[in-house]
Amino acid sequence: MTTLGPTLLPWLVALPLAGAALVPIVARRDARWAGGFTLVVALVTTSLASVLVAQLASQGPFSADLGGWAAPYGIELHFDRFAAWTMPLAALFAFVIPFSWRYLDATLPRERWAPFYALMLLNLGGLLGFSVTGDLFNLFVTMEVVSLSSYALVAVAGRGVAAWAALKYLLLGAVSSLLVLFAVGLLFALTGSLNLADVSVRLAAAEPSGAALLALASLAVAFLVKAALFPLHVWLPDAHAIAPSPVSAVLSGLVVKVGIVGLLRVLQLAAGTGISLEPLNTVLMVLGATAIVMGAFLAIFQDDIKLMLAYSTISNIGYIVLGIGLASPFALIGAFVHVFNHGLIKVTLFLAAGAIIHQTGYRTLSDLRGVARRMPQTAAAMAIGAVSIVGLPPTAGFVCKWYIALGAFEADQGGYGFALVFGALFIFVYYVRMLDAFFFRSPVRPEVADAVEAPWSMRAPVLVLAAACLVLGVLGGIPIGFVEPAVVDLLAALGR
Amino acid sequence: MTLVGLDLDYVACVVLFCVGLYMLVAKSNLIKKVLGLNVMETAVFAFIVTSGMIDGGQEPIVVAGSAPPYTSPIPHAMVLTGIVVAVSVTAVALALIAQIHAHYGTIEVDELKELP
Repeated sequence: MTTLGPTLLPWLVALPLAGAALVPIVARRDARWAGGFTLVVALVTTSLASVLVAQLASQGPFSADLGGWAAPYGIELHFDRFAAWTMPLAALFAFVIPFSWRYLDATLPRERWAPFYALMLLNLGGLLGFSVTGDLFNLFVTMEVVSLSSYALVAVAGRGVAAWAALKYLLLGAVSSLLVLFAVGLLFALTGSLNLADVSVRLAAAEPSGAALLALASLAVAFLVKAALFPLHVWLPDAHAIAPSPVSAVLSGLVVKVGIVGLLRVLQLAAGTGISLEPLNTVLMVLGATAIVMGAFLAIFQDDIKLMLAYSTISNIGYIVLGIGLASPFALIGAFVHVFNHGLIKVTLFLAAGAIIHQTGYRTLSDLRGVARRMPQTAAAMAIGAVSIVGLPPTAGFVCKWYIALGAFEADQGGYGFALVFGALFIFVYYVRMLDAFFFRSPVRPEVADAVEAPWSMRAPVLVLAAACLVLGVLGGIPIGFVEPAVVDLLAALGR
Repeated sequence: MTLVGLDLDYVACVVLFCVGLYMLVAKSNLIKKVLGLNVMETAVFAFIVTSGMIDGGQEPIVVAGSAPPYTSPIPHAMVLTGIVVAVSVTAVALALIAQIHAHYGTIEVDELKELP
C-alpha cells in the first residue's frame, strides 16, 4: 500500500494521453464508438485520481520520478493538496463526454468525431499533467498540450467565425507560452535546476537579483493571460462563446484554471527568495476587483447566453485572483476552493445552455423567452447554477465568495470586500434577466413553444451537476478543510 | 563579447524578440503575424541556447582526451522540445488561417473586422 501512490501517479497523465492516441483507431469502424471509449478512459482516469487523493489523505504528499532518474535531475511528478483539489476537475470530463454524444449528432459531421474526442482526452491529460508536475520545463510542455488542444477544439465546429476566434486565442496564447519558456530558460540559467522545489531552494540561497524578478514576473504575466484576467481577457469571450457547448464548458470551467494553478506555483517558487510579493499582490488585488466589476458589467449587455456565461467567467477569475492577491488565510482558501467550485458551476451552466440551444436552435435571451415551460428540468438546473454563481447560500458559489470576502476584511482591505459585493450585485442583475426571460415570459418563437426536454444522455449530466452545486454548498466545510493545510504551508513559506 | 556591460548575444536576442513582437502587433496580414510569432520564438530559443554556452566549452560528450569545460546540454534539449511545440503551434495557426481564407476570402485583420 505504501508505494501505491508513486506507482500510480504517472498513469494519471499517461492514461488520457494514450487514450487520445487510441481514439482514431477505435473510431475506424464506427465513429460512435469513440464517444463510449472516451467516457471509459475519462472514468478510469477519474477513479485513478480518487485513489491518489485517498493516498494523499492517508499519508501526505508524495512524488514519482520518471525514467528512473531521481529528482532534481530527473523529471518529478508531485502530488500535493493543491494538485489534489484540481483532481475533481477531471471528474467533470466524465459529465461533459456523455453530454457530447447527442450534441455532436447535430453539430459535427461524423468524420470529425474522432478528432473531437481525441482532443478532449489530450486536453484532460495536459490538465492533469500540469497539476501534478514538479518540473518547470514539464510545466511548459503540459501547458502547451492543454493550449494546443484548446485552440483546435474552439475551431472544431468549422466555419470561418470559429477559426477566427481560435486564431485570436492562439496568437495571445502563444505569446504567453513564449513568456513561460523564456522564464524557464532564465530560471535554469540562474539556478542550474529545473525541479520546482529545487529551483525555489536555490533561488532562496542566491542573492535576490533583477533576473530572478524578471523570470518570476514573466511567469506571472503569462499565467494571467492564460487565466484571462481583465484586461488580458480579450481572447476569451469569442473563443468560449463560439466553441461547441461541451468545449465551452471545458474551456471556461477547466482550461482557464491552468493560469490560476500556474500562478500558485509561481507563489510557491517565490516563497523564501526574499523577493517582495507586495507589488504583485497589489496588482492582483486591483486587477481582480476590476475584473469582477468589469466582467459582470459587460455581461449585463449580452443577449447571447453563451457570451454572457463567457463574461461571467472573467468576473469569477477576478474573484479567484483577488483572493490570491489578498493573501490572507481565509481569502486564499476561498480562492482555491473556487478553482473547482467555479469549474463545477460553469460546466453546469454551459451544459444546460448547450441543451437549451440544442433543443431549440436559438441562443439569445430574446429568442429563448419562456423556454422553462417546455424544458423545466434543464431550466431548473440553469437556475441552480445561476444562484450558485451569484454566490447565494446554500450553494457551492456562496462558500468561496464568503471566504474571499472574509479574507478581505481579515487582510484589512475592506474596500475590496465591498467591490466583491458590488460585483455580485451586477452578476445578480444579469442572471435575474436570464431567469426572467426563461421562466416568466411567453415564448416568441414557435421552436421554443414546441421544444421538448433534452434526451437523457444530455439531461442526466446537467441534473447531477446541478445537484452537486447544492451539495457542495451544504457541505462546504469539506473542501475548505481539505485545502486548509496546503494554504497554511504556503502562507508559512511566504512568511505570513 | 560585451557592449556597455551587457553580453552582445543577449542584446541580439532582445532586439530579435522586439522585431517579432512588432510584426505580431503592427502587421495586419495574419501570415505576417504568425511569422512575427516565429521570430519571437527564435529569439527565445537563441537566448536559452546561448545561456548554456561557455567560452571555450567542449561538446558535452565524455570520451578519452576530452576535458572540461563543457557546454550545458540541457538548454539544447529544452530548445529541441520548444521547437517541436513551436512547429505544432505554427501548423495549427496556418490551418486556421487557411480556413479563414476559405470562408472570408481575406486574411487581412482590418478587412476581417469590417465583416459582420
